[in-house]
Amino acid sequence: MIQLLRMTAGLFHWAVAFGVLYGLHGIGCSAGWERSMVAGTSLHRLLLVLAWAGGIAAGVALTRWLRRTAGAGLLDRIAVLLGWVGVAAVVVGGLPIVTIPACL
Amino acid sequence: MKALRLHRELTAIWRTEPGLRGQLRSVNHSDMGRRFILGAFFFFAVGGVLAMLIRAQLATPHSAFVGPAVYNQLFTMHGSIMMFLFAIPMFEGLAMYLLPKMLGARDLAYPRLSALGWWCYVFGGSILIAAMLAGVAPDAGWFLYPPLSGKTYTPGINSDVWLLGVTFVEISAMCAAIEIAVSILKLRAPGMRLDRMPLFAWYMLATAGMMIFGFPPLILGSILLEVERAFGWPFYAPELGGSPLLWQHLFWLFGHPEVYIIFLPAAGAVSTILPVMARTKILGYGALVAAVMALAFLSFGLWVHHMFTTGIPHMALGFFSAASTLVAIPTAVQVFAWLGTLWAGRPQLKLPMLYLIGFFIVFVLGGLTGVMLAVVPFDAQAHDTAFVTAHLHYVLVGGFVFPMLAAAYYWLPHFTGRGRVMRLGEAAFWLILIGFNLTFFLMHLTGLLGMPRRIDTYPEGMGWTWLNLLSSVGSFLMAFGFALFAIDVALQIWLGRLHKRNPWGAGTLEWAMATPAPAYNFASLAVVEGRDPLEDRPDLPAVLARGDGWLGHARHGWRETMAVDMVSGAPDHIAILPTNSWLPITTAATLGGFFLSMLAGLYPLAPLFLVLVAMLGWRWAWSNGQRRDFGPLPAGPGGAMLPIAAETRGTTGWWGSVFALTASGTLFASLLFGYAFLWTVAPDWPPPQLIARAPFELVLAIAGAVVAAVAVRRGQWPAALAGQGAIVVAMVLLIALRLPAPTSHAYAATGATVAAYVIFHAALAVVMLAFLRARISAGFVGGQRQGEPRIVRLWSDHAAGAGIVAALVIALPGWFA
Repeated sequence: MIQLLRMTAGLFHWAVAFGVLYGLHGIGCSAGWERSMVAGTSLHRLLLVLAWAGGIAAGVALTRWLRRTAGAGLLDRIAVLLGWVGVAAVVVGGLPIVTIPACL
Repeated sequence: MKALRLHRELTAIWRTEPGLRGQLRSVNHSDMGRRFILGAFFFFAVGGVLAMLIRAQLATPHSAFVGPAVYNQLFTMHGSIMMFLFAIPMFEGLAMYLLPKMLGARDLAYPRLSALGWWCYVFGGSILIAAMLAGVAPDAGWFLYPPLSGKTYTPGINSDVWLLGVTFVEISAMCAAIEIAVSILKLRAPGMRLDRMPLFAWYMLATAGMMIFGFPPLILGSILLEVERAFGWPFYAPELGGSPLLWQHLFWLFGHPEVYIIFLPAAGAVSTILPVMARTKILGYGALVAAVMALAFLSFGLWVHHMFTTGIPHMALGFFSAASTLVAIPTAVQVFAWLGTLWAGRPQLKLPMLYLIGFFIVFVLGGLTGVMLAVVPFDAQAHDTAFVTAHLHYVLVGGFVFPMLAAAYYWLPHFTGRGRVMRLGEAAFWLILIGFNLTFFLMHLTGLLGMPRRIDTYPEGMGWTWLNLLSSVGSFLMAFGFALFAIDVALQIWLGRLHKRNPWGAGTLEWAMATPAPAYNFASLAVVEGRDPLEDRPDLPAVLARGDGWLGHARHGWRETMAVDMVSGAPDHIAILPTNSWLPITTAATLGGFFLSMLAGLYPLAPLFLVLVAMLGWRWAWSNGQRRDFGPLPAGPGGAMLPIAAETRGTTGWWGSVFALTASGTLFASLLFGYAFLWTVAPDWPPPQLIARAPFELVLAIAGAVVAAVAVRRGQWPAALAGQGAIVVAMVLLIALRLPAPTSHAYAATGATVAAYVIFHAALAVVMLAFLRARISAGFVGGQRQGEPRIVRLWSDHAAGAGIVAALVIALPGWFA
């Protein structure tokens, strides 16, 4: 089972990051964080960017760990591949944070 | 002679008894697989007739063929039948029949659960069909959006029929998901490592996992809507703090993964059939496994793309649009792997291959329009038009029906042991392919010209007339094609000549047995050393039939199969499976009593059926296990010895509980999501009246949970029972004394539902603890037989954990107010 969890760890990470970004976005719009400005940008966008960057960094760290601890088997190679897939999905999935108005 | 003797002995143990009694008591996976497939095809025919009626209505403007009320029932039932009564049961049936054979096992992990699923499917589907014949079929669309489906706009029982009938059928789907996942992970031939598994098993493992996470949100949504309709708890009513968008979230949290849940088994069939037709090995086994896993996860990030026009902020739409386009990549990886396999091999244009070509054409077109609809501005234009109807039919017929037709022709010789009679299959293919494209390609154009979905009639002069007429002609052509297919299959079953084994020269284990398959599948189990064991050892069928593999004996009348280590496939223990039983059909009938009493509004009667179900569950679990230790028993060649399941850890029972609790936990998490969603998004929040402060209930629930968790580990059963009892009391007090009336606001209704979830699980834990006590007294637990306390601990811990979370979620708003 641990092997299967390793194999899907990168995708689980994407699911968590996706849920955090979506949840943070909804809470921010509801609480009016868009109206509070910090360092030239809204508090809402700043928090989303931080969460996005944190998600990417955590994904990279996870995948590097998967690679460092990988054996020679096919399932380990898939685990590393899917780790990078998860990172790429977090990167692409978060692009709207820096390109689209948050609460319109 | 040894082979014949073994065949007779194993048949006596594994066979289905003769006559009607045998059919009602059978739990054999081949029987269940065949039944699900035939049942699903029956419902496909019903859904197909409804589709023809829809097309007859739309063939001309101002049609008076049926009125709007009947038309609403037609399209709602067509969608509901095709999704819930055809597609899912069809692949479940195929998986039930094939998986044990492909994995080199004798049956699935929980044969009685398969049978329970079958009877729930039959009874639940019958409720829907009976309602249709009575003229009270659901009529609010197959995704049953409130407020249209609510009591105000659907005062009759039409929506209740959908909510209760479909939920009844979903019990079947959940049974199948747990069964399939555990069977793939634990019941394989010795030596079949995960990376040697047939690709079909990987696809089904991903599908089962998706069902475990995907179905609970819909089950929850259905329960909430039924409770709103029956008791007036306002989850979806905006005037009392609810939101219709909550239903859309819960429905599509299931509904979008559902598309992939339907596609992946079919893609698994493609990955199995295509290399055989191309006379080569599949290209990119590892890439395909990775793509399947990526699809299984990413498809959960798309659900809002069905809600692009509901006014959700643009950035959130961007998140889901990005995920919707991303999911095309792993799909494309599979398509290129299949094309590469064809390129590398020497394809033969046999009948299954013809249907696979149809799959490529139709599915790729559907995928491309899917990418178009994933882009928000395009979707805003095409939303709720016939373009979407065309797209979803390209995806589902291309991605499921064509591969299933290929699978039917590929595996029919296995089911029947017979060859084809006439070449009707080719004619059926061309009628289906041409008819389908005539119907649905033109529907893209009708949609782009602005024709909405689900309208029962339309005026002349819109430019839709000739497109609709041709679509209707195409649909009837397609129907003739399916009729020819049915005739062709019937001819093969009754008139086909006996056929040689393995007519395609495949390398997978399902062909290493006599066809039709004997009740026990294999007289002994193969040792697997590669991905194509039959190709590696062409003499394998004879070797296994002689009993020269693992478990090549009949012993104690036990139905034995091998349980292995999940990853390495090393033999772990001997699983002893249950025999034929009345329990599945009686349990399903009792569940039917619950659903029918709810449907009839006899609410006081409904809990009595649940008590009966609990009693049957007790009887069910009591028939497992052994009263003494057997120690390691002879199991394989060279004198290998293995323990039986009752005397080891990591049994199928334990893993089944893990997956069942995962599904239940997903339902609980969906409920908490709904609570947070309403609090964040719905109007009239914060609620006008919050919970009264409840320090006693909060402490009681947490203390009860801690006591239950500690006591169950120490084997102190009275204390564990008291802990669970305290949780129940705390939750009842929260609902009865502290929360506002559940009918007053969605806040109170959601809080009460959270508490009700915990009450149900704590009560279940109480029953299981009492059961364990009785089992210890009766001698089923003791010595090496310690599996049952570990399983009960799982359920007890889940109830305790949910109790703590629920107490905090319900009580804290009052504290901070």
